[in-house]
Amino acid sequence: MSETILRVENLTMHYTTRAGIVSAVDDVSFTLDEGESLGLVGESGCGKTSVANSLLKLLADNAVIKGGQIRFKGTDFVPLSEEEMRPYRWRNISMVFQAAMNSLNPVYRVGDQIIEALETHLGLYSHAQARQRVTELFTMVGLDPALMDQYPHEYSGGMRQRAVIAMALSCNPDLVIADEPTTALDVIVQDALLRQLKTLQEMIGMSMIYISHDIAVIAEVSDRIGVMYAGKLVELASADEIFHHPVHPYTVALMSAFPSVTGPKRELQTLAGEPPNLLYPPSGCRFHPRCPFATEICRQQEPEFKDHGGGHYAACWHPQEVTV
Amino acid sequence: MARYIAQRLLQIILTFFLFLALSYMLLEAMPGDFSQLFLQDPKLTLAQREAIAASLGLNRPPHERFFRYIGSFLRGDLGVSFQYYPRPVVDVILERAPRTLMLFISSTVVSFYVGFFVGKLLAWRRGRVLEYITTVGGVTLYTVFTPWFGLLMIWLFAFTLDWFPIGKFITPRLWRDAPVEANVVFNRMLLTALVVSIVLLTWFILTRRIDTRRRRVVHWGGMGLGLAVVVGIWGASGLGPYALNILHHLMLPVLTLTLISFAGTMLLTRNSMLETLREDYITTARAKGLPEKVIRDKHAARNAMLPVVTSLVFSLAFALSGGVITEGVFSWPGMGEVLLTSAVVQDIPMMMGALIFTAIFALLAHLVVDILYAFLDPRIRYG
Ligand SMILES: Nc1ncnc2c1ncn2[C@@H]1O[C@H](COP(=O)(O)OP(=O)(O)OP(=O)(O)O)[C@@H](O)[C@H]1O
Ligand code: SF4
Ligand SMILES: [Mg+2]
Repeated sequence: MSETILRVENLTMHYTTRAGIVSAVDDVSFTLDEGESLGLVGESGCGKTSVANSLLKLLADNAVIKGGQIRFKGTDFVPLSEEEMRPYRWRNISMVFQAAMNSLNPVYRVGDQIIEALETHLGLYSHAQARQRVTELFTMVGLDPALMDQYPHEYSGGMRQRAVIAMALSCNPDLVIADEPTTALDVIVQDALLRQLKTLQEMIGMSMIYISHDIAVIAEVSDRIGVMYAGKLVELASADEIFHHPVHPYTVALMSAFPSVTGPKRELQTLAGEPPNLLYPPSGCRFHPRCPFATEICRQQEPEFKDHGGGHYAACWHPQEVTV
Repeated sequence: MARYIAQRLLQIILTFFLFLALSYMLLEAMPGDFSQLFLQDPKLTLAQREAIAASLGLNRPPHERFFRYIGSFLRGDLGVSFQYYPRPVVDVILERAPRTLMLFISSTVVSFYVGFFVGKLLAWRRGRVLEYITTVGGVTLYTVFTPWFGLLMIWLFAFTLDWFPIGKFITPRLWRDAPVEANVVFNRMLLTALVVSIVLLTWFILTRRIDTRRRRVVHWGGMGLGLAVVVGIWGASGLGPYALNILHHLMLPVLTLTLISFAGTMLLTRNSMLETLREDYITTARAKGLPEKVIRDKHAARNAMLPVVTSLVFSLAFALSGGVITEGVFSWPGMGEVLLTSAVVQDIPMMMGALIFTAIFALLAHLVVDILYAFLDPRIRYG
């Protein structure tokens, strides 16, 4: 039984805007074990990036963590100041950003940007040692080490993405969060990169959180999957369970929108409607305006996020019992 | 890069000759000539005035004079000044130009540095009272009527507080039995400034690979050492007090020029910085757990600087005209003053000389900024 390194409890995060409060993350709880990979999936705007950024407290100026805990190896990040967060950033938890294309500073050599992280957190490196480490990292992610002395604009999109991954791995973090690391790339490069990321993860033994709006992408690389809808985590279970026994109607809809080539022919149930505006989240279960199974209680009361057996969590008044 | 510079130099030469022709035409279009200054002098007869005009070549047709002018120009001869007769124009320029360069370069560097520094902080810590004060104050100074402000500065700092001398370049009393001329000292000061900047720049470039903590010590140590060497050499030469006297005279005009121009840099830096802070690589820098100062200076400000450097070119004209006025107000005997008086007395060769100096200076400054930009932004590839 491996140790739990991250325990998120009832995390709630708001953005204050002129139009009102956007409740982007509402009462989200999950845990992550050492070496485990967790996928977070959900439509655009459901709060995946907000969750990821909250974990490192990389918040926008107008973001406030309203409540909950983010326990990393026993330390709660929520009350920590920026300065107190610094040692954990990158050293323990690093990120590959959604906009990885632009996450390198255009005026510095790529290698130097990695060395900067090494110097900040592992201090002991001499310049020669640091370059040695960058060479190692570049080889690991499949980049020619000679490229370390070039500038980001001299890289292709895929190369930049690899460099960003190399940078994320540079300080041997315990956890890497990959927020849609491949959306800007073409499909073939996407696939190769994801698989490589997975291999690296297994090789190094770190934990991962993969974020994507595409459940097919998530499925390939995650041990467990969390499904988000409108700022809430609505279902959380092993990848296998999510795929074969989804409980939440939203997950069921996501799964049936996912065409299976080998499986029996199913009726493609596309979801009608749009995800809600988080300025005015619906009452009760946030999914009720689009849910085919919604009843009165769904409109009135929020369903509890509870265990439906064997660590399969879901928040629904009318859990489904489908077998896909 | 070399090809780019060659190309630009060619461009500069073309622009320069165009400028030369235009200036000549404009001066030609001015009514009257130098000899008519003596129109009201009863002792000079018409014939004598005509003789003056003829001796200065003013009776020749304009196009002939222009081509002769270009001819001598190419031989490095800008003619003889009418008002400082018989001093050659080149001689006057060589004496005056260093003073203007010193004034202009030091105020540009100081106002760029101050504007950049304050602008950066304003963007980093938004919404403080300080932001409003600096912004309103800066814009007020930026738009103020320069001669009035110059006089105000003299009244306050030189007259009332007596911190600085009132105008001029040196204190004659002190220089009466000086071993050398003021210009010699001044040129050595310029040379010192140049050598020190080059040495320090080389030092910074050589030591940039050292790790962050030691680098700071090495940098400050280098600067301290440089300063000590400069002070030592000047002290030993016995010219120290004279140099200090010139510096003392230089301060108030530089301060004035800086105050009226730093706000441009400040506001631009602030905006550019606010934009840069929204970039993804700033989020990366934060995620990397870098110290705040490193994020602000190394990542944000370094990128925010690029458009500000570009704008330096555009502020050149502003700085030059501000310089002419400031020199006038502070009776600083530089090129600005020469330009003004020669325009008033229609000393055409001197005025052409002053304009040529301005043109060469502006064009070269432009080139320097372009080259600087190429070093600051690796995405730029000239050539
Ligand atoms: N700085 C902000 N201020 C106000 N609202 C914000 C801010 N950032 C995000 N939001 C809103 O918060 C909600 C969640 O955004 P988030 O970026 O976390 O979603 P996401 O699931 O990552 O979406 P995507 O798949 O498009 O990346 C969205 O409705 C978004 O409009
Ligand atoms: S709680 Fe009700 S509305 Fe919400 S998903 Fe379940 S059945 Fe649908
Ligand atoms: Mg996102």
